[in-house]
Amino acid sequence: MSVFQHDYRPYDGPTTALWKRPLVLARYGLGEAWGSKITVGLAVLALLPCIVDLVLMYLANNPVAKMLVMRGNPLLEINEKFFLGMLETQCWFALVLAAWIAPRLVSFDLGDNALPILLSHPISRFSYVLGKFIALTLSLSYVTWIPLLVLFVYQCYASPVPWTMGHLGIAVGMFVGCVVWIILLSFIGLAVASWVKWRVIATGAMFAVIFVPAGVGAIASTVLRTKWGMLLNFPVVMSELWQRLVGAPQLFPGRMDLPSPALVAVLIAASLACVAVLNARIRAREVVRG
Amino acid sequence: MGVIALDRLEVRLGGRTVLNGLTGELRGHAVGLLGPNGAGKSTLINTLLGFHEPSGGNAKVLGLDARTDRMRIRQSVGYMPENDSFIGNMSGVRFVRYMAELSGLPPAAALERAHEALFYVGLGEVRYRKISTYSLGMKQLIKLAQALAHGPKLLILDEPTNGLDPTARQRMVQLIKEIRKEGSMHMLISSHLLRDIDETCDEVLILKKGSIAAISNIEEERRSHRNFIEMEMTGNTEAFAEKMQALGCECARFAGGRVKVVMPDALSQRDLYVTAAETGAEIRRIQTRRDSLEDIFLRAMDYEGGRIDHVSLPA
Repeated sequence: MSVFQHDYRPYDGPTTALWKRPLVLARYGLGEAWGSKITVGLAVLALLPCIVDLVLMYLANNPVAKMLVMRGNPLLEINEKFFLGMLETQCWFALVLAAWIAPRLVSFDLGDNALPILLSHPISRFSYVLGKFIALTLSLSYVTWIPLLVLFVYQCYASPVPWTMGHLGIAVGMFVGCVVWIILLSFIGLAVASWVKWRVIATGAMFAVIFVPAGVGAIASTVLRTKWGMLLNFPVVMSELWQRLVGAPQLFPGRMDLPSPALVAVLIAASLACVAVLNARIRAREVVRG
Repeated sequence: MGVIALDRLEVRLGGRTVLNGLTGELRGHAVGLLGPNGAGKSTLINTLLGFHEPSGGNAKVLGLDARTDRMRIRQSVGYMPENDSFIGNMSGVRFVRYMAELSGLPPAAALERAHEALFYVGLGEVRYRKISTYSLGMKQLIKLAQALAHGPKLLILDEPTNGLDPTARQRMVQLIKEIRKEGSMHMLISSHLLRDIDETCDEVLILKKGSIAAISNIEEERRSHRNFIEMEMTGNTEAFAEKMQALGCECARFAGGRVKVVMPDALSQRDLYVTAAETGAEIRRIQTRRDSLEDIFLRAMDYEGGRIDHVSLPA
């Protein structure tokens, strides 16, 4: 019998486990994020540097090509510095992608006041955020650690000399660096999107959250003649962290000697601040005080 | 076991007490939740759904504790909120499917149920349109469809006819009646429109300033007072009243010749005319009236403090 001929009937079929419900949110979130042509365009754009890097790797590992095309160009040296450059490029593309996707994941729900209906189903506020978080981290993984590790594997395969065992630290460093950045971006993205209901403004606010404190930190460092103001500069903090994780030499020796625990503490503090914002904003009902 | 059981339930929000020691048990198939604006209707619903934490007492929904069994309650409940609440960027069928999956239905079953629910509420033809393009009435219906899709045991409707034109309102009321008649689920319907509750519910909980002003079984009230007659008379109304009481009626006289009579089943209106003729009284106007929900509501609004039992008509 066709569905339009059915009267209402109770549902007596199987139900999924409670722990799987955030995955429903993640699946629909991914559908929402990748249903946009702009998302697909950004993702394709983000993979172009990887293709360039792939070509460079091929040239670097092909003696004839190396001799004829590059003629000793240092670009062809595949080492920690090369992978650090790749890591930084992909991670900044991830910021652009996060600024576009995160508002699509949350702002639609907030803009149409969908939270009361969503949270009236058997999912908690934590599950809701977790589902969106999974969707965002998966989307960002696609342009960060996944292509980077593929390129690393290619380098291991293509290198004419034993290379893998001596450089495994690069792979681990890239993976950890990407994961740290993805988690931070996801927290910031979801927090900003939950705070600002308008998508375009939320996208702009995402960049502002990253770069405005950097300016403030630079001013503070200059005025107070201290290095600690740089802790507010997320680009610098992350660059330092990535460089230390991959094991590459410092790009600007002596520029900053902030200890690693301080860098980690800043990232944790930023993440906790985002969690606090999410806790305040992701509610089925707002309570008006007074 | 009642559908909803309240035991000294107290809810404080933003530093003030919104629900104050609610106690009572609701057993009806369709329970109306009545009260003026700010009485605490929506707060009660939100508390039952686990959106607000009770600051005192306890509430049970389908035997489950609202404080500790939130997820199981939400699994068994379909909720249609008062205000616009949807994802405008989604098509109707995708939205309802999404909600059904969140309630635990596997994707294929959720899709099938979404189609069924949308046809059931009358949105079958527009189910592939984005919800943002729906009219107000359609948006109300899509909220109802998502609440029904997973086959809940209790359907909570918060102001279901809010903002609807007369035709759409009638359609919504008709749908609610059909769901009630189908009989597989209980309903809790919040409204400030007495007519909606009167047409759809068999029990009513009336809230006033965060307290229960009345819990009344509408059907029982109607049954027990089906022979309640109000008259305007001239002449010897005293003799008329005495004679009617002798015949087994409950009878009361008021100023201006108004007489109220509750007749036993054995008597008919013809006996009123016969008795009036015999006692020298004249009936100028006669009105057979049932105790309307409006009467129950107005009496409840007069109530101030104290514990309320089931409201009943004065003899």
